[in-house]
Amino acid sequence: MRPLPRGRHGLSREFVAQDQRERLLAAIASSLDEHSYDGTTVSLIGGRARVSKSDFYRHFASKDDCFLTAYDDAAERLRREVRAACAEHEQWPDRVCAGLAAGLAWLAAEPARANLLLVEGLRAGPQVYDRFLAMTDRFVPLLRDGAPAGPGSSGRLPQGADEAIVGGIASLLGRRVLAGETEDLVRMFPEVAEFALTPYLGAAEARRIISSG
Amino acid sequence: MPPRGKAASSAQAAAGQASSGRRPALPREFIAAHKQRRITDALAELSAEQGYEATKISDIVRRAGVARKTLYDNFEGKEEVFLAAFDAAFDEAMERIETACTEAEGGWQEKIEVGLEAFLGYVADEPILAHMCMIEALSATPATTERYEDAVEKFVRMTGDTLPEDARLPDTLDETLVGGVAWIVYQAIRREDAERAVDLLPQLTEFMIGPFLDTGLAVPPAQAADENS
Repeated sequence: MRPLPRGRHGLSREFVAQDQRERLLAAIASSLDEHSYDGTTVSLIGGRARVSKSDFYRHFASKDDCFLTAYDDAAERLRREVRAACAEHEQWPDRVCAGLAAGLAWLAAEPARANLLLVEGLRAGPQVYDRFLAMTDRFVPLLRDGAPAGPGSSGRLPQGADEAIVGGIASLLGRRVLAGETEDLVRMFPEVAEFALTPYLGAAEARRIISSG
Repeated sequence: MPPRGKAASSAQAAAGQASSGRRPALPREFIAAHKQRRITDALAELSAEQGYEATKISDIVRRAGVARKTLYDNFEGKEEVFLAAFDAAFDEAMERIETACTEAEGGWQEKIEVGLEAFLGYVADEPILAHMCMIEALSATPATTERYEDAVEKFVRMTGDTLPEDARLPDTLDETLVGGVAWIVYQAIRREDAERAVDLLPQLTEFMIGPFLDTGLAVPPAQAADENS
């Protein structure tokens, strides 16, 4: 993000503050993509965002505070993206596929935030991992709501299956991000969608829907 | 309230007396291994209680009841203690799983179920080590995170070798299934429910078998149970 012009510019104070805050949130994500958490200092974040140290502390109490805010902000952006894509479709399989495709596209286009959400979140300690779990839990209803009960004679899904599916996908994507393959995430759509749909529809039907879509 | 604290402290005192009494003539290696184990166990307990970072060498030696020098004779420092504890726990869990799978007489589906049962059994028997390996290891140091990733990779490979090949299913199924199981178990440990991890067996077995149900490669768990009885 480019900094605003210096000096007199007639921009409101709130606008400037908001812009600085957004730049800092993007800067901590991109610093963490290249450096360790310890290596990501307040001056490094400020330098990237072109925000002075004193302005940094006007927005955040500490680096940890900035990290957690950036984490929640990225999670919210991803969820908004996925939810909006889901909302465009009526049928359950279409909704799930659209949500997954939108989520993968967003992560691929935002590699630093993908790293923040799926890799750094796991490594920043149990408290942040709990945030990570809470974040992914918020995706569970998008998969569960309106889902068929399960294929074949069993007619039901085991308890906790939807959480395990979302968790399994998050874990798979995290492994790919860690391997430096974030930009290729979009190509994983068929596999991820099959994994999500199969428990509900059976392998044959899931495959049919994905290959026809 | 019964005097629980008192009972516990007198039990500790008894144990202290026993260990400070006349030493039996045990081989030196046995004593060394025993001390190492006390040190690794102490770190595992302390990291479960207060986190890895907050745990100091002085806490570890106090909890283990060994001299500081003994710790440094055996380990370079805190990280090496952690890695030794991690490796020992991982090896033991792996061995239990492999033994269970080798002894299983049925097909892949039974191997998955007994392997899962062995894994969950380990988590239930060793909640503190499970906490260390699945929670603390993720964030303790870069070396421990790497150990965690390697362990996941080994589980993925083992699962992939056990599941039947089927072109109709996604190639990454082993990764997503292992990730999903780890997820559910992590949450149980975090809820301090590790002792009841075995209760998760039916749902996690169904989760792992589920994708194969209508491929003709798997039998629904209920039906499999009927056939076995």
